[in-house]
Amino acid sequence: MWNVRLFDITTLLFGVASVNYVVALYGKKETLARIGTWICVAAAVVSTAALGVRWAESYKMGIGRIPVTNLYESLVFFAWSVNLFYLAVEWKYRSRAFGAFVMPIAFGTMLFAFTNESSIQPLVPALQSYWLHAHVITCFVGYAGFAVSAGVAVMYLMKAKREERKVTGGVVQRFPSTKVLDELVYRAIIWGFPFLTAGIITGAAWANYAWGTYWSWDPKETWSLIVWLVYAAFLHARVTRGWHGRRAAILSIVGFVATIFCYLGVNLVLSGLHSYGGA
Amino acid sequence: MSEGKRTESLMDKVWKFFTSLKLAISVIIILAVASIIGTIIEQNQPLEKYRQVYGDGTIRLFETLNLFDMYHSWWFLLLLVLFTVNLSCCTLDRLPRTVKVVRNPKTTLDENLEKSLAHVDRWKKKGGMEGLADTYKTAMGSAFASPRVTENSGTLHLYAEKGIVSRFGVYVTHLSIIIIFIGAIIGNVFGFKGFANIVEGKSVRVIPTRGGTDQVDLGFAVRCNKFRVDFYPNGQPKEYSSDLSVIEGGREVLRKTIEVNDPLQYKGIWFYQSSYGPAGAASATVAVNSPEGARMETFSLTPGRKVEIPGYGKVSGIDYQDNFQGLGPALLVVLEKPGQPPAEYWLLKAYPHFDRQRGDTRYLSFAGVDQIFYTGLQVARDPGVNIVWVGCTLMVIGIMIAFFMSHQRLWVRLSRGGDGRVEVVLAGSTHRNRLAFEKKFEKIQADMRAVEA
Repeated sequence: MWNVRLFDITTLLFGVASVNYVVALYGKKETLARIGTWICVAAAVVSTAALGVRWAESYKMGIGRIPVTNLYESLVFFAWSVNLFYLAVEWKYRSRAFGAFVMPIAFGTMLFAFTNESSIQPLVPALQSYWLHAHVITCFVGYAGFAVSAGVAVMYLMKAKREERKVTGGVVQRFPSTKVLDELVYRAIIWGFPFLTAGIITGAAWANYAWGTYWSWDPKETWSLIVWLVYAAFLHARVTRGWHGRRAAILSIVGFVATIFCYLGVNLVLSGLHSYGGA
Repeated sequence: MSEGKRTESLMDKVWKFFTSLKLAISVIIILAVASIIGTIIEQNQPLEKYRQVYGDGTIRLFETLNLFDMYHSWWFLLLLVLFTVNLSCCTLDRLPRTVKVVRNPKTTLDENLEKSLAHVDRWKKKGGMEGLADTYKTAMGSAFASPRVTENSGTLHLYAEKGIVSRFGVYVTHLSIIIIFIGAIIGNVFGFKGFANIVEGKSVRVIPTRGGTDQVDLGFAVRCNKFRVDFYPNGQPKEYSSDLSVIEGGREVLRKTIEVNDPLQYKGIWFYQSSYGPAGAASATVAVNSPEGARMETFSLTPGRKVEIPGYGKVSGIDYQDNFQGLGPALLVVLEKPGQPPAEYWLLKAYPHFDRQRGDTRYLSFAGVDQIFYTGLQVARDPGVNIVWVGCTLMVIGIMIAFFMSHQRLWVRLSRGGDGRVEVVLAGSTHRNRLAFEKKFEKIQADMRAVEA
């Protein structure tokens, strides 16, 4: 399968990019980080091509469908989203320090995908719907936003701790200012939040069209609501009570842990209607 | 008197409690944490299943706390009510203030305001005040928004604002949640959810609801004309569909083939393809032929039933295979002839004259199996669902307005300084997205400083 070869190459690229960013940060080698950016761009091209090839291959097999329908596909799609979201952030905020904290998330996701069944399986009737596209894409853009936010939150905590102790030097020197980091933790969430909201809504609309119930407290639905509530709490605390800095960063990390559980934990630990991850 | 005062202060306290953001965040967190319980304890399972996991004491405790149907328990609903009341009170408390800010904008920059703003710049310029005001007006108009000008005892004030609607994003979002709840309540009170298994060729008119404890007369009948299931090459179901007819007043008024993700709707009642299964045992059609190949009779075989062929023997079917040794569908029959031990042999659908090789007075051929299916339909009526969708749409719009737009304001004050030059003060504020506004402000600042009067 060509698409799987391409995804393997993507994994390798994410790995090399992660190493580049980390070494650049700790070894103060800006050139390496610049190479890292180009590797990320290459990975974006290769993984986009891989998704396209997988899509085309599924049609050749007579079961044509968008490649986001089982655990393997959802993981590579998540990594794809994180990479693109990261490139946008790097470009907008003109800092490559983020790469050392965000790209390992994409790399780890691909490694995990590597351990899963990668062949193209036909779709069960319940998944054959146009809602699938809108639902999955909105959810994963949301997840990607939360991943970036959590990565930046870790950077914030590192830098704030150093500044508190009045320690100068070290890697945090290469980070953007705590003000920018704090703002980015928030900005990534306000990108993720409406997408998660739209993801939950499209899921509800689909469920209603498939079996006449838009909400049935299925574990996946419930966990998506929990994630939504955590970020709603974050936004309220931030906007109206002025939660900035440390507390906001911790809440962002808590939110991302809940997101990961919603995405993977529910399928691996609990039972429910969502197909991927189970059998 | 004192009585009245006390109740008033109590009311104040209650109001303060319900409008506090602390309560809002607490309720949100409690809702989130409580929701986790119901994902760990499987909901609405039969008691036997719980017995396998929990002890009797635990089951009693969980039942008392309604943890087996947690999301419909009184305490969870109470939490939702508290959430809604808090949401409504916060909105009622804050909305008037917002309206006031929007309606009576502060169009002049006085010293107090100036001190409270984060973005302030000042410079001096030669020339006439009116002329400068005109130039700045144009500059602000093209870079930001067209300002209004007020004169106040020799001082000129320019004021411009943008994105005022974003102040209402939060209220739209909060309102949308209430709308969704209203839709959900309407659906629960005036709608129903039921399930119907319809055997091919049969129809139903009354649907059991609430897990069979109640029932609903549809006012029309639904007939399943035909059920069909397709498989992928690997044997996994690809699609299943039911050809349904709606019969009202003895006439067929609507006919549609539904499949998963493509339901039928009639008079607000929806029928969703949900499951299927065999209705009764499959039957096999077998023909009896003379050695010359003339068909003498056909009969159908069902499991456990012997069929007597007059003047020949008794036949029963004992096995069926979809693909017997690569030769296609095949039926295993037992033939009992008087005075002979029972003999088993396979009949192949693809080779109807295969059995002739026995060289007997009759030979049998297998024409295929017939299986009657039932189709499992989810039946629902939900008059609140469109209200829910309105709420959902408003929610996305509200969130976008609240977070991607911001209410930005710019002030310019022109006054004659002691040295005869014009003193210019530029100030700006935004109620959200400080960093983005900072950049914008810097640009406007540079533009305005550069213009020549």
